[in-house]
Amino acid sequence: MEPLIGLNCSTIECTSLSTSALIWQDVLAQAMTGELVAAMNYTALSRICDDPEEVADALEHAEIERGHAAAFAAEGRKIGVDVANNVDAKHWKRLRKAFMRCIAERDFIGCLIVQEIMLESFAVASYARVGRVAPGSLAVTFAFIAEEEEEHIDHAVAILKTERALDAQRFDDKVYHLHLDVMTTLAKMLAQECKDGHCEVCHGSCVKPSLFEVSLSAVELRGASLQQYLRTLDILGIPGEVTLAWVAQLPVS
Amino acid sequence: MGGSVASVVAGVRRATEVDFALVGHQESWRAAADILAVLRGPERTPLPEDEMKDILPWIPPRAVCHVDVGSIVGAKARGLYIDSFIPPDRLEDAYVHENIVRVRGAAACAIKAGAKIVSLGGFSSILIEGNFDQLPERHDTVFTTGNTLTVGFIVQGVKKMCALEGRDLLRSTLLIVGATGDVGSGCARCLAPLVSRVLLSARNVARLRRLAAELQADGVQVEIATDPHRFSVEADIVICAASLPSPSLLLGQIAPYALVCDAGYPKNLSPSAEMPGAKVFFGGLGQITGGLRFAPDLHGILNRHPFPDVVHGCLLEGMALALEGRFEPFSRGRGSITRERVEEIETIAARHGIYLAPLYNAGGPVEDGLHCDREWPKRICA
Repeated sequence: MEPLIGLNCSTIECTSLSTSALIWQDVLAQAMTGELVAAMNYTALSRICDDPEEVADALEHAEIERGHAAAFAAEGRKIGVDVANNVDAKHWKRLRKAFMRCIAERDFIGCLIVQEIMLESFAVASYARVGRVAPGSLAVTFAFIAEEEEEHIDHAVAILKTERALDAQRFDDKVYHLHLDVMTTLAKMLAQECKDGHCEVCHGSCVKPSLFEVSLSAVELRGASLQQYLRTLDILGIPGEVTLAWVAQLPVS
Repeated sequence: MGGSVASVVAGVRRATEVDFALVGHQESWRAAADILAVLRGPERTPLPEDEMKDILPWIPPRAVCHVDVGSIVGAKARGLYIDSFIPPDRLEDAYVHENIVRVRGAAACAIKAGAKIVSLGGFSSILIEGNFDQLPERHDTVFTTGNTLTVGFIVQGVKKMCALEGRDLLRSTLLIVGATGDVGSGCARCLAPLVSRVLLSARNVARLRRLAAELQADGVQVEIATDPHRFSVEADIVICAASLPSPSLLLGQIAPYALVCDAGYPKNLSPSAEMPGAKVFFGGLGQITGGLRFAPDLHGILNRHPFPDVVHGCLLEGMALALEGRFEPFSRGRGSITRERVEEIETIAARHGIYLAPLYNAGGPVEDGLHCDREWPKRICA
């Protein structure tokens, strides 16, 4: 799969790259792939919206996500690495399929739940953690994008709370079914080790065991992501004892 | 149970009116693992211990299960158990600010659920005791530390142990370790008039002096010390109202015939070879006889005791008040527990079938029978 964004990089002399640059390369590749998947999702969403304002919103979001992907690519160039992406990598492909099933059913609310509640929780939490430890402009970019993604969550929460108020049980059932699909995949992505084989995004071997070298850890990224997800579900009003059981049932490897 | 797939899968029912909430946390990783194993369901393998330790600290405070409690006079109350998810290995002072944030979060969950009264269990109560202003805005929810009923059960336990061992309380010398705290000072006020001499130990000298002066004004013979070891060999009865950092230091020097009530949190006194004659028992625990149900079923996991339906007094206070329909902040901390207040909450608890639990320690039961002696409160009052 070709990268969706032409990076137009000059030839980079990789022999002098530090170990940490190679780790950031993989972190950026995961982030960039996530942003491109999000951009594709919003573009698809715009096609099922009836309200012109919603169409415009979705297209605007898609553009913002593409901007995020470009920003991550630019950060890679600054540290001398080529940031690849692969929206067809096995986990991302599964997430994309889950979203596209909602599109096929013209399920606007389902789309928001998958993209804004599940995928963005993962993005906001992990970008914020990276923003705390990354060097220089890399930190600034991750922190800034985390804030922007959080705004997306806020926007969706307002809509979803209104939807839940109409029929809480039906809404919670819908979230649960999507949770089983999407969060199971995300949980596997966030597991301490990729036991199902290579994720098809990291440029070499799995980056997770090396994250400690840049003051990160897979454990921390998973924990922060699940915490953000649970907090977002709390804001939606889904009972805490229900969402606790959902999360407790996720795979850990 | 509600019909929602989401909630059925989670093993919980839809929220209904919530009379009480119990705020707590797990004392051990084993207990936390057991809860998560129930929530994962029998079809999934339990989380490996290292994974569980990596995940649990990230879980925000939240309800874990619904709790139904019944009274022997037919009253019923519905509640929630809310876990603050304080990791069992982070109870030390170094984590106090982080833990207060967690307790505040748990309190916010109780308020959001519409609980009319909230009992702060174990360490939550210690963190918030005297600092109720640190709790979120409360609307129609009241909070109680539950310490008054805890004191009641400690005092009842001491009296019962004396009776079982044939000791004369009136001739006893009582040592209270952690005497100036809410529970310690409450025990001192209740037991001082019933013993021959009181020895008080705590870290804060000014508070020790104040409590001693209060008791002396009632004609009690009182001595104080910041070092409990100074007194340990002189005491017939020892109440450890504070969890001891080095329990073996105290137990190693204690009179060989002493009765030792472990009323601290977490409980960490065990009978040892160094004190073969001393009797250690856990204090502050009560037993519900009118029915206790958890959904999902966490029986024996949330209340890990060798007897059925045993719960810490601090949590039972909120349940008793809910059964009584008295939604008031009965225990507010700050050392204000009096004999009268203890008798009042004991009476309420007993009316609904909540009695002193059978006595036990880390080694198992120290008396026969699985159930509490329902007549015991009447006999000790007589």
